[in-house]
Amino acid sequence: MAAAPLDSRRVSRPRGFWGEAWVRFRRRPLAMAALAFVGFLVAVAVFAPAIAGTKPVLCRYKGRLYTPCLAYFNRNWEPAVFARDKFRGTYPRNLKEKDPDSWAIWPLFFQDPYRAVRADEWPGLPENPAMDEGRPSRLNPFGTDQSGVDVLAKMVHGTTVALLVGFVSMGIAGTIGIVMGALGGYFGGWVDMLTSRLTEIVMCIPTLVLILAIIAILEKPTIWHTMAIIGATGWTGIARLTRGEFLRLKTSEFVMAARAAGAGPVRIMLRHILPNALAPILVPITFGIAAAILVESSLSFLGFGPPPPTASWGAVLNDARSNYQMWWLVVFPGTAIFLTVLAYNLIGEGLQEATDPRLREARK
Amino acid sequence: MATYLLRRALLGIVTLLVITCFVYGLARAMPGTPLTVQLGEDPSRKLNPEDQERLRRIYGLDKPWYAGYLQWLGNVAQGDLGRSITRKQPVTTLIAERIGPTFLVSGTALLLIWLMAIPLGLYASARSGAPDERATSLLLYVLYSFPTFVAALFLQIIFAVWLKGTAWELPLFGMTSLPPDAPWLTRLADVARHMILPVTCQTYVSLAYDSRFIKANMEEVLRQDYIRTARAKGASPTSVLVYHAFRNTLIPLVTLLGLSLPALLGGSVIIEQIFTWPGMGRLFFESIRERDYPTIMGLTLMFSVLTLLGQLLADVLYCVVDPRVSVD
Repeated sequence: MAAAPLDSRRVSRPRGFWGEAWVRFRRRPLAMAALAFVGFLVAVAVFAPAIAGTKPVLCRYKGRLYTPCLAYFNRNWEPAVFARDKFRGTYPRNLKEKDPDSWAIWPLFFQDPYRAVRADEWPGLPENPAMDEGRPSRLNPFGTDQSGVDVLAKMVHGTTVALLVGFVSMGIAGTIGIVMGALGGYFGGWVDMLTSRLTEIVMCIPTLVLILAIIAILEKPTIWHTMAIIGATGWTGIARLTRGEFLRLKTSEFVMAARAAGAGPVRIMLRHILPNALAPILVPITFGIAAAILVESSLSFLGFGPPPPTASWGAVLNDARSNYQMWWLVVFPGTAIFLTVLAYNLIGEGLQEATDPRLREARK
Repeated sequence: MATYLLRRALLGIVTLLVITCFVYGLARAMPGTPLTVQLGEDPSRKLNPEDQERLRRIYGLDKPWYAGYLQWLGNVAQGDLGRSITRKQPVTTLIAERIGPTFLVSGTALLLIWLMAIPLGLYASARSGAPDERATSLLLYVLYSFPTFVAALFLQIIFAVWLKGTAWELPLFGMTSLPPDAPWLTRLADVARHMILPVTCQTYVSLAYDSRFIKANMEEVLRQDYIRTARAKGASPTSVLVYHAFRNTLIPLVTLLGLSLPALLGGSVIIEQIFTWPGMGRLFFESIRERDYPTIMGLTLMFSVLTLLGQLLADVLYCVVDPRVSVD
């Protein structure tokens, strides 16, 4: 804070709206901490197979290099040679037995998110405990679930779902919401009537019914379907706000100038109004990411989430309901969901304070 | 005003028609019918094809969905919500049974929320910027981000598992664990004990949200010129806060109250599901699982009407409390 006025370069060159907003955002320690936390989650999601897994990150087998850990992202990416040589998913011993010269770089944490680790699968590592016995220990820091699957490994791999749900569903909701709101706000008249009614209808339909019904209709629901449905139902708030912003901005002088210069409606909406309306629209989108994560985890918790083996934090919580003695199945994923939702809410809050000129004046 | 209400009512009916038609089509498109889902996989309980066909005809499941929808619509127009297929009871009876428990929890929660949110919001705006206010606001913000179902599970583990056997133990789920012939005072105390956890879960999120909302509105009002005038003429800080500022934040508050109408009677599916509370939310969830079309439709109609009424109420109350605003 003290450095800003001293830096003469910055004073001489204006930073622009977003640069200004970033400077103000950076002054909020909580918002920055939240941003760092989301960055940490992205890192965990990207490097999940290298953090927890039972497949080597990189290995040399019969003279060639392989990365079997990528199979955690897509099952088809598992090199075919290991299936041919009958590894059956157990790498440490098979690698040594079938090729004594092989070497491998292992994940940081030898535990699988989809199955319990067997005794001596990793030299000296005992079998995972199951049921009530699986309380957190040195070998399983977050404990194990009913069938002995390590909770930490499940959560590391579930991070991908938590992040994707937020970004993908809000990407969809943001697109629909902005298009609806922009059309209604800009054109007015019967277009506005139509989009407003549609928004109202979607608001009235109980989201849970819609989601449960569509998931039931789909023969094989995947996590992508869940994201699409959350996105398709979560755009109403964004549409209302966009409509308001467009209504306000379409009468402004710069829009009139653009129209006088011969710009068409699409160009005016995209190039002139939208950039000016983006800041207030981004705020509900950020809060929407938090809401989408909540919806996905509550769906998984109710048992309507992505089918196994997709790892999801909410699914771990669902496991806990059959046995309340296993508190670790609630505490760790519950805290993870809470922290993620909190982080997105804090970012949204920071964004709001950084971009809303009225709040800025209030601070002075 | 009358024309405005009439226009809103007409628009509301169109909205309701679209929603119910859509939900009916969706419900019918779900795999399985109430007959197949209810009987499940058990072969000994399988109906023979003739019986199944007969039942399908009785419940009108042999007709295409739009015919079924029109029939439902006709019955609704005559004030008949139909009979539940899986529970063999009129839908209105089912709703009447479930609305009490839901109202008990959400009504108590709503009362608690407003009783606490207003003083909290006033306190936060009075001490705005002071360390204690910032700590309280941060705590409320953290609470606001705490997912209800996670909180429900945490509370269940703390009060029903860890504190089991102590005086602090609270029941895990259900509405009462006493037989119906117990004396009413003991029953009342028992229901109250069962209510504590669900009410807590429903209260804390809205409490955090509403008190922040009140504070945000207060901050807006406190910047106005008339507040400076009130201070300058020597009004006490409390009087400025309550009589000059708070009264002027009532308008958005009224809107918020209107919008909480559907939740008041609709209940929360997930909270009622976790605590096996025999309310509307749980009925909704069960009826979707059982493919009980009449109940799904009855509840959808109720929720939609409540949502639309809540919006209308908010808009109308807005004009009542703020004479500057006109509905037209």
